[in-house]
Amino acid sequence: MIKKIEQINQSATAEINSVKTLDELEAFRIKYLARNGLVGDLFDALKTLDKSDRPLMGKYLNDLRNNAQSLFDKKKEEIESNTTIRQETDDLTLPGRRRWIGSRHPLTQTLDEIKRIFYKMGFEVADGPEIEDDYHNFEALNFPPDHPARDMQDTFFITDKILLRTHTSPVQIRVMEKQKPPVRVIIPGRVYRNEAISARSYCLFHQVEGLYVDEGVTFSELKGTLVTFAKQFYGSSLKFRFRPSYFPFTEPSAEMDITCFLCNGKGCRVCKQTGWLEILGCGMVDPNVYKYVGYDEEKISGYAFGMGIERIAMLMYGIDDIRILYQNDIRFLKQF
Amino acid sequence: MRISLGWLKKYVAINVSPEELAHSLTMCGLEVESIEYLGAKYNHFVVGKVIDVQKHPKADRLTVCQVDIGAEKVQIVCGAPNVAAGQTVPVGLIDAVVPRDQHDPNGNPLKISKVSLRGVESNGMICSEYELGLGDDKEGILVLEASAPIGVPLADQLGVNDIIFEIGVTPNRPDALSHIGIAREVAAIQNIKLMLPAIDVQTNDTSISDLVKVIIEDVENCPRYSGRLISGVKIGKSPLWLERILESVGIRPINNIVDVTNYVLMECGQPLHAFDFDKVSNGTIIVKSGIDDFNFTTLDHKERKLRPDTLMICDDKKPIAIAGVMGGENTEITQSTTRVFIESAYFLPRSIRRTAKYFGLSTDASQRFERGADPEITLWALNKAADMIISIAGGTVLGNSIDVYPNKIKEKEIVIRISKVNELLGITISKKEIIDLLTKISFKLSNKESTKSNPDLLSLLVPSFRPDIEREIDVIEEIARMHGYDNIPVHEITKLRLSENNPPKDFLPIIRDCFIGAGLQEIVTNSMQPISIATLASDNVVKIANPISRDMEALRTSLLPSMLEVIRENIFKGNSSLRLFEIGKTYYHHHSIIGEYLPQYSEKTQLLIAFTGNQNPLRWDEKPRNIDFFDVKGEIESFFQKIFLDNIKFIHYPNTNALSERGVHIEINKEYAGMVGYVRKEILKQFDIENEVIFAEIDIEKIINKIKIKRHYTTLPKYPSMIRDIALVIEPNITMDKIEEAIKASGTSLLKHIELFDTYSGKQIGDSKKSYAFRLEFYSEDHTLTQNEIDGVMNNIINELEHKLKAIIRR
Repeated sequence: MIKKIEQINQSATAEINSVKTLDELEAFRIKYLARNGLVGDLFDALKTLDKSDRPLMGKYLNDLRNNAQSLFDKKKEEIESNTTIRQETDDLTLPGRRRWIGSRHPLTQTLDEIKRIFYKMGFEVADGPEIEDDYHNFEALNFPPDHPARDMQDTFFITDKILLRTHTSPVQIRVMEKQKPPVRVIIPGRVYRNEAISARSYCLFHQVEGLYVDEGVTFSELKGTLVTFAKQFYGSSLKFRFRPSYFPFTEPSAEMDITCFLCNGKGCRVCKQTGWLEILGCGMVDPNVYKYVGYDEEKISGYAFGMGIERIAMLMYGIDDIRILYQNDIRFLKQF
Repeated sequence: MRISLGWLKKYVAINVSPEELAHSLTMCGLEVESIEYLGAKYNHFVVGKVIDVQKHPKADRLTVCQVDIGAEKVQIVCGAPNVAAGQTVPVGLIDAVVPRDQHDPNGNPLKISKVSLRGVESNGMICSEYELGLGDDKEGILVLEASAPIGVPLADQLGVNDIIFEIGVTPNRPDALSHIGIAREVAAIQNIKLMLPAIDVQTNDTSISDLVKVIIEDVENCPRYSGRLISGVKIGKSPLWLERILESVGIRPINNIVDVTNYVLMECGQPLHAFDFDKVSNGTIIVKSGIDDFNFTTLDHKERKLRPDTLMICDDKKPIAIAGVMGGENTEITQSTTRVFIESAYFLPRSIRRTAKYFGLSTDASQRFERGADPEITLWALNKAADMIISIAGGTVLGNSIDVYPNKIKEKEIVIRISKVNELLGITISKKEIIDLLTKISFKLSNKESTKSNPDLLSLLVPSFRPDIEREIDVIEEIARMHGYDNIPVHEITKLRLSENNPPKDFLPIIRDCFIGAGLQEIVTNSMQPISIATLASDNVVKIANPISRDMEALRTSLLPSMLEVIRENIFKGNSSLRLFEIGKTYYHHHSIIGEYLPQYSEKTQLLIAFTGNQNPLRWDEKPRNIDFFDVKGEIESFFQKIFLDNIKFIHYPNTNALSERGVHIEINKEYAGMVGYVRKEILKQFDIENEVIFAEIDIEKIINKIKIKRHYTTLPKYPSMIRDIALVIEPNITMDKIEEAIKASGTSLLKHIELFDTYSGKQIGDSKKSYAFRLEFYSEDHTLTQNEIDGVMNNIINELEHKLKAIIRR
């Protein structure tokens, strides 16, 4: 009897290891644990033993049954908990179970940083349509019809008078149409230019426009705001310069350059040997613009500025082909 | 605009380096975009003397030359037939880059290195005119004057040491589109004198008015028309210096007459046009518009259909030039031309702009007229041209010039306020300083009576070459520019008066963070696509009238197609497990009036997420599993949970969309807000994607105003909750949402939470049925629940399920 018990115990312990599926486990149960299984048979045989032997053998048999049952339970849990088999391992240097990670697109990261800085300076966000009319995109921004300034921006037209905005500046008009001064907003958004696609230019890009109109706003303040921004964004040791430029909707107009941070102003390929990088255009809002939105040009003054997010991102991250920003190759995006 | 430093020096004595000059021009608004050192292309080229010429031992056509280059003698194998001992020649040494390789079909540059030609060493190249980019002669080497000093750099010998500034002239500065214009600025910023050449034209005794008659019919669009007649000219090639200087500023030499007109254009900015006077009928010039339905052939041999608003130069029979844009073939200067009529006019910018746009023709002339030429310079330019022509092409200038200028354009007078200048710029500048700055750039003081008594006012006369200056603000800009933007202080303290508007919260970063936190990667895609793709999701496609290509003819109506393109490209590059999202706009054209900004157009901000490939990164203890519908739906549900959006329903829909099949609509407060679904197999095939892609699309505007920003604290339960599980067997057509509804309806206020924790279908419950198991959580805000209470509620629920859904409860 004892021998039999031991045999069954050994075979059950051995067999359970080869059990992989619930069906096999069921076969195991029928073989050992069912009423007329191997263990059950032995219990039946218990009655044929001497009375004096029965308690001890009974205890052995109970142990056998408990062992087989626990093998069965353990295996059942194992199979049910996972179709795969968790291995016990001592190698704690195995990798943990990582999840996918995601990130913001580099353009979003750049924009978010720009926004963060202007929020601190009291700017709010405003928004407007990408499909615009000629009035908001050009006319009210002091681009007269039949004026060569319109050539500065190659335009995609939907109809004669409807177009894809070429800059975020029309939102200046839309904001001022709705709101009285003080107006202090930034306007991020997508803009379109009908230019051949190359490493340096894409048919669309993103801008952040800024507008501040209030009583007594000066050009000196415009410089202050933009220098503060540039130092926050590019680092406080930066050198900068403002040089005269032309935009129909600002006067005086300027472009802001900072020392090329790739060559420290010595001159390199990126800054075209000038040592300077142009980062934005700006100026005092042209009085003609106030006429279009019904502001009294004698009572208020203001400034506006605009920068291209792609350009800034490309400079920041050392990207030399604008198109890669729109290809969304995951190997590229994972770098940010 | 290309500006030659050598040319500039004719008008101003520049005493700073080219780099410093470039910087000061840039800082006064004439941005020098690049500096080109013309001599640089002749680095490693020197003047040499051929000492000895021997036949090449192995090649009939080659010779072996010994060339003296001053410091040493070099051996050069040469293929030119005309090489001979004693010649002075241009020699390219090792490392020189020959501008044009004459054996290359495209004439690409060629770098010289030490070579062995059929066994004979060659250490350089004797170059032809073509190779040096000096002309078209490829037949033999260029032989220089015998007196040329041996060993000097070739650039010095050729006189090509000029420096060219590429200046980006903004559209408001037509006055800077010439060398004199730039010289004027240089004189002002360097505080030096501008020296304009004096012109003294020798004329004969015949008066031009005996031969030429000019009538301006359209005075509005042509305020001034001047001209001169030169007879007895001989048309030919211009002298080398003239061709060279024109080429250096980017103008192709044509013949001596046209070259002179172009020279004067580049010198003073006034466009001139030369007519073959013998082809002008009856010596009559009429400036008019109103010619309709006429095909006119311009100098570029293209036929152009005239419009009534096109201002034309005509003789008494026919049009002969498109005014201010381009001349006509019918009066072109040719080899046989002997009498030349030079036109120097002032046309109205608007008119020229319209015409140039209409013909799609932008010429050196039209660019200047449409920005605004100087009406007062016509005669100076004319005389300069006449003077040059007789010295270059011979002939005599007829006495007098034509000058039809019926209404003299008045000098502009502008009054500025000194206080306004200081207020707007944030500086302190005196009236005296302002006068000083402005007179440097040719403004004159006018003593307007009304300004005399007020010291704050200053009245000024604007120079005729500054059409851009019309208002006080324009003058303030000039003051700022001449004062120097860098001298305006940086005022860093700004007052912080905020608008009383309470701007809407920017939710996009929050939404973005939710999905990035869930391991999704943000993408940004092009919003332009082919019409065939844009129409997949909507018929209301916005079409672009002048697209770059057919591939970008329409604006997207869904974010899905560009997402699929990104998925395809990434799979192609070996990354097939992707979890991506984009937040972007979609665009629609409507026939009815519904847009927020423009009546017939609308834009929607959408969120799109898409999954394909494995649900998890590869793990060592887990079999990879493909993503499925519930992974995406779960992501959306978690998102809604995270932004506390409730009242959401997912409604199963069969096959209703061109892009997707099998999925659910998302409804918030019974309003459609988006969907989750499988991308259609046909669409995947169209995009070359073999794997399954599951996506969700949400209309951001539909959820933003429903996000509950203001949270309100709910007291935490004071009494323990009780859990009951319930499993039911139902018909397969009974969906989860129906069951949930039934449980909620019957669960009373004690039921706080329902969670599905198991589903089953199989033999044990009958083939056609399914079983769902739920865990229900109950608690009360005011007492501890008893078993009896819960039993009662459970009975309610069971009753409801049994009666409404014919469910069988598994016990």
